[in-house]
Amino acid sequence: METMLEARDLARHYEDFSLRGVSLDVRPGSITGLFGANGAGKSTVVKVLAHQAPPHAGSVRVFGLSYADEERAIKNRIGYVPQDPVFYTDIFAASVTVRWMARFVAPYFARWDGALFHALLDEFKVNPLKKIRHLSGGQKKLLAIAMALSHGAELLILDEPAAGLDVVYRRALLDRLRAFVADGSRAVVVASHVTDGLDEIADEVLFLDEGRVVLRENRDDLLSRWKWIHFKAGALDSDIERGLTEVRRQPFGNRGLTSDFRALCGRLAAAVAAGDVKVENASLEDVLASYIRKV
Amino acid sequence: MDPILRRSIIYYLTHFVIWFGMLSRFLIVGDWPTFEIIPLFVPAWLASSLLFSEREESYAFLRTLPVADRAIVRTKLGLILSMGALYWVLMTVAAFARGLGSATGPAVFVYVGLVAAIGLLIAAGFQVLIWRFGITVMTGVIVVYTGVVLIATLVHTASMRFTPGWSEVTRMRGVVWLAGAPWLTHPVLVGLTLLAFYGLVQAGIRVKASSEACL
Repeated sequence: METMLEARDLARHYEDFSLRGVSLDVRPGSITGLFGANGAGKSTVVKVLAHQAPPHAGSVRVFGLSYADEERAIKNRIGYVPQDPVFYTDIFAASVTVRWMARFVAPYFARWDGALFHALLDEFKVNPLKKIRHLSGGQKKLLAIAMALSHGAELLILDEPAAGLDVVYRRALLDRLRAFVADGSRAVVVASHVTDGLDEIADEVLFLDEGRVVLRENRDDLLSRWKWIHFKAGALDSDIERGLTEVRRQPFGNRGLTSDFRALCGRLAAAVAAGDVKVENASLEDVLASYIRKV
Repeated sequence: MDPILRRSIIYYLTHFVIWFGMLSRFLIVGDWPTFEIIPLFVPAWLASSLLFSEREESYAFLRTLPVADRAIVRTKLGLILSMGALYWVLMTVAAFARGLGSATGPAVFVYVGLVAAIGLLIAAGFQVLIWRFGITVMTGVIVVYTGVVLIATLVHTASMRFTPGWSEVTRMRGVVWLAGAPWLTHPVLVGLTLLAFYGLVQAGIRVKASSEACL
């Protein structure tokens, strides 16, 4: 299958932080989620992928092209939403409206769809006559998302797109992203906190910690390995119990998280049947928390 | 018109209009001390135009659009070159129109060319430094530079008027020497200026693409 985005051994250094050895491939039809704690390097990876901050080492190829040779062509085909969107100002900055912004942006894109842009503004309840400086943080984010979706992009690169959105617009965004990749020809890369709900739609998952990728896996595979095991005292073999993480011992029962449920499945079957052990799905948030603590 | 150009050119043109007021006074009055100081304002005027045009310039937003850094660099530096050339040409035409060439010799034209060339190269250099270090850092530097140039111009003007024997720029040894062969000096000056400017464009492209200071 063709790769839409290919990043190899990306590195970028700041005074107090370094991104090192980050590689990833993005396939058509996929949503790749970059997750990690604050300061893990999610935004840096996104900036490098969207050519907002070129890497100090490594390479990025988008649609088989490099930014060095085809920056304009690539940017015409990607939609980028930064963590804190900024918009153009003019000498009369105070009077710049959302509609003016659309007129400014349209000539730059080869396939700008003004009707779609205004439909999205309508859906997101952003008044096109409102001045940019009067928009709330969430509305600015929605405006940036509308712009990213309105120029025929084939790849969306989003940095915490759901941050600052209320539950209604967060759901609308998730639906939009699902629909975006539904025909299998487009893809999304999204950096996010797992609590923003984007973990629900990501099918490829990368965990970042201190500027490095510490886990890269298909989401379904990952969650089929990680399970909560609820058990009565003495119900588990000691080696299984020792292998659990995040163990909580409570008067009404114990629980622990396993990262290798498939291997334990057969050994737990009898205890599960006897009602001494219960298995519960873990969330991506559980996995991330446990993984980062372990690393 | 290119939106980046349109946004910046407003500041350059407003500065130009003020400066043209001074030039118009000279064209009406025709006195030599007025013309002597008009070119000296050009480096300060170009730097000041640059400073205003760079305030709140949304480079972070532009970078999200399909606009290559190369195109932004060419637009911004091209504007500085065009304005520098415009000042240069207008001062030369004004000097011709008032017959200064015959009155003070070719030194006037060498002086005008030198000041315009230096002014536009310094402004272009400041533009590259803004991309490298950001507008916050460079604002102080440009304000000090502009202030020093303006104060020096005013001191020079006052001294010409009140200090007997104060040397006019056109009578300085270097200018007079260069004016000795104007048919050679002018092409060389234009050539060197364009060469240095081309170097700044190349440096600007590299700096703009690799630096986040202006974002």
